[in-house]
Amino acid sequence: MNAAAPSDDTLIRIRGLTTVLSGKKVFDALDMDIPRGKVTAIMGPSGTGKTTLLKHITGQMRGDAGQVQVDGKNVPELGREALYALREKIGYLFQNSALLTDFDVFENVAFPLRQHTRLPEVLIRNIVLTKLQAVGLRGAAQLAPSELSGGMARRVALARAIVFDPMLILYDEPFVGLDPIALNQVLKLIRTLNETLGITSVLVAHELDAIKQVADHIFLIANGKVVAQGDPKTIAGDGSPWTRQFFGGEADGPVPFQYPAGDYAEALGFPRSGA
Amino acid sequence: MNARIERDNIVTQALGQIGACGLFLLQILAAIPRSLRYVRETVRQLWFVGAMSLTIIMVCGLFVGMVLALQLYHVLSIFGGTAATGTVVAISIYRELGPVITALLFAGRAGTAITAEIGLMRATDQIAAMELMAVDPLAYVAAPRFLAGLIALPLLCCVFSALGIFGGHLVGVTWLGIDNGTFWSNMTATVDVWKDIISGVVWKSLAFGAVVALIAVFQGYTAPPTSEGVAYATTRTVVASSIAILALDFVLTAFLM
Amino acid sequence: MSQRKSYAVGTGLFIVLGFAALAYLATQTSSVANRQQGDSYTVDAQFQNIGQLKERAPVKIAGVRVGQVQSIALEPGKAVADVKLSIDKRYDTIPTDSVATVFTSGLLGDQYVGIEYGHAKKYVANGGKLALTRSSEPLEEMLGKFFGAGGTADAIGGTYKVFARFSNVGTLSAGSPVKMAGVPIGQVVSVQAEPDKLDALVTLAIDNRYNQIPDDSAAAVFTSGLIGSQYVAIQPGGSSDMLKNGDEMILTQSAMQLEDLIGKFLVNGSGSGDGKQGAGASTSPAGKH
Repeated sequence: MNAAAPSDDTLIRIRGLTTVLSGKKVFDALDMDIPRGKVTAIMGPSGTGKTTLLKHITGQMRGDAGQVQVDGKNVPELGREALYALREKIGYLFQNSALLTDFDVFENVAFPLRQHTRLPEVLIRNIVLTKLQAVGLRGAAQLAPSELSGGMARRVALARAIVFDPMLILYDEPFVGLDPIALNQVLKLIRTLNETLGITSVLVAHELDAIKQVADHIFLIANGKVVAQGDPKTIAGDGSPWTRQFFGGEADGPVPFQYPAGDYAEALGFPRSGA
Repeated sequence: MNARIERDNIVTQALGQIGACGLFLLQILAAIPRSLRYVRETVRQLWFVGAMSLTIIMVCGLFVGMVLALQLYHVLSIFGGTAATGTVVAISIYRELGPVITALLFAGRAGTAITAEIGLMRATDQIAAMELMAVDPLAYVAAPRFLAGLIALPLLCCVFSALGIFGGHLVGVTWLGIDNGTFWSNMTATVDVWKDIISGVVWKSLAFGAVVALIAVFQGYTAPPTSEGVAYATTRTVVASSIAILALDFVLTAFLM
Repeated sequence: MSQRKSYAVGTGLFIVLGFAALAYLATQTSSVANRQQGDSYTVDAQFQNIGQLKERAPVKIAGVRVGQVQSIALEPGKAVADVKLSIDKRYDTIPTDSVATVFTSGLLGDQYVGIEYGHAKKYVANGGKLALTRSSEPLEEMLGKFFGAGGTADAIGGTYKVFARFSNVGTLSAGSPVKMAGVPIGQVVSVQAEPDKLDALVTLAIDNRYNQIPDDSAAAVFTSGLIGSQYVAIQPGGSSDMLKNGDEMILTQSAMQLEDLIGKFLVNGSGSGDGKQGAGASTSPAGKH
């Protein structure tokens, strides 16, 4: 199945990705190599396009220039069929879980199976219950999505994302809004899935402590470029102003506190102080 | 999609909407072959937009027929033509009131539901989730609802018309005392299957079904993913559908009859 | 799964209900209901004027539907309509000298072909011909006098007044037109009841240009159009003396009851013209028919 794919250690290779959204350069010749079989975290100040980057990997968005190779295939050039074939091998965990409100938990997890396979009902049932057991929610199979808490919904979404045993899971802000217990449950799941199934995981998140526990590799992106990368222990100490500000949590630094704006005094109607 | 909401004037906006709607229709039509594997979803939508609309359609059909018979009886009695009550009730329901009122009710009952549902699915990333599960939302969400509307409206219109005739009979014959035989024989002597029933009840409502379902799905699909955006899109479904139905009715009447 | 099944069953029921309704409409409320098409045979009939007769119009004998009009064509080279009648095989004993007539069913109704049996021993066969036909009796002609252009005279040259008495003026009122040969020549000035004589005195103002009206002319109250307003029609007499200002017209005909006159049309198409004559038209001394 993966015969055409290069058997190197890099699953996702991004080269010179440039994307302009409503006049703003979100990515400026971005280069990035995401290793196979590892947990990789992408961090960065809000609004630097981390979620946008995930959308480029899944082909929901296309850049203006550059390549996004996933498993050896250049995503922007794929047609619908090839893209959908690729997506079947990618799990995606939405920040808000995005469960289908029409169906109960069981049917939500079974949804990809029903759409893409003609498996007998017994087999579907077994697969779904296995996945639900893996996220600890087998007992909640008959609940409606509206009856779930945020953490439970995210775990159901995770069960749905892994129902096809994908080669890659993309987590978009998996820790937001979770209480410490739920956060640790999700954290443990990400780690377990990676270790037991060998699934490559890419996380977009802000929670530094959580990421330090789970990630093998961290990318810090800002201003459309990778400004720092490395494993969790070394990256904070590489001495660049970006890492110092981000990991030190300083309010001002290379990432300005002020959104770009005109002259302050002028905006308030005062005469220019220098004049 | 709605990233560039410019403050154009109303005409430009309307034209833009019509153009986008037309392109969306092409997308849906292209997705229909792919949606054939989701027949179950189409059946489910047919249940929600069609079967669940039956009650309101039947009640309204009954009352429209009744009030029509009542009004016509009083007007026709001026010329001593009350025998024609059944005929005129039937002709006006088949040709105009059946398709138009059914379509308007359908837009209000099912169109808004479709828009709100798709709009919320979009706002809660369900559409994006389907795309990422390699399920084409055009084929799985949009096309089945479009098809369901297309199929449901003519069927609802038939039921509406039948109940309308029944209501007309109830008032005309049972209450006002028109002779039962006269009522039916005048109707059967005048009503033509092709010119009245097929061209009105079937062709017209097929066209209305396509238009209402298209507008409802389009508005939901392009609604800004906010509560305000979905609410506004729902309103627009009703307004745009109503205008489209009545305008199209004129055009179809001019061509069909 | 059971949930999915119930959708399917419910939806199936809905579709069946819809088609049942369509079938009901198409077969029970439309002309299909009249067309229990069994075997039929074709008969030709030629008419001078078929009026509003259309294809698929019914063919009736003694009011019973026996078939329908199959086709209508103009006989080449002649101003004659060639009508093919498709008649049910069960009714294959129509005498060859039967008369086919185009009738109107109801006042506003469609026209149909009525066949009145003759006495011949031979019957019309498939492809045969009904030689004796009577054309559409134009309702318009019968009611012709009721129809007429509206409008009033312009009274450019001044007017002169004449009087007329009617036992019944219907809905005639001041301002109603006065017409001769369909042309407005004046208008009604006033309509007054004459209690002592138990009739209505109508004052007519007639344009001076029309001062050559014989004094034995008759005045009649007519209705313009089926549901239109009424007017006074003047039918010229033969006297050599002309009407002058202040004269009274002796010969008058009161408002006819339209309802009575056309009543016979409303009874499903016995429009053979032998009903009550001028039914209900209460006629004053010298009323004419």
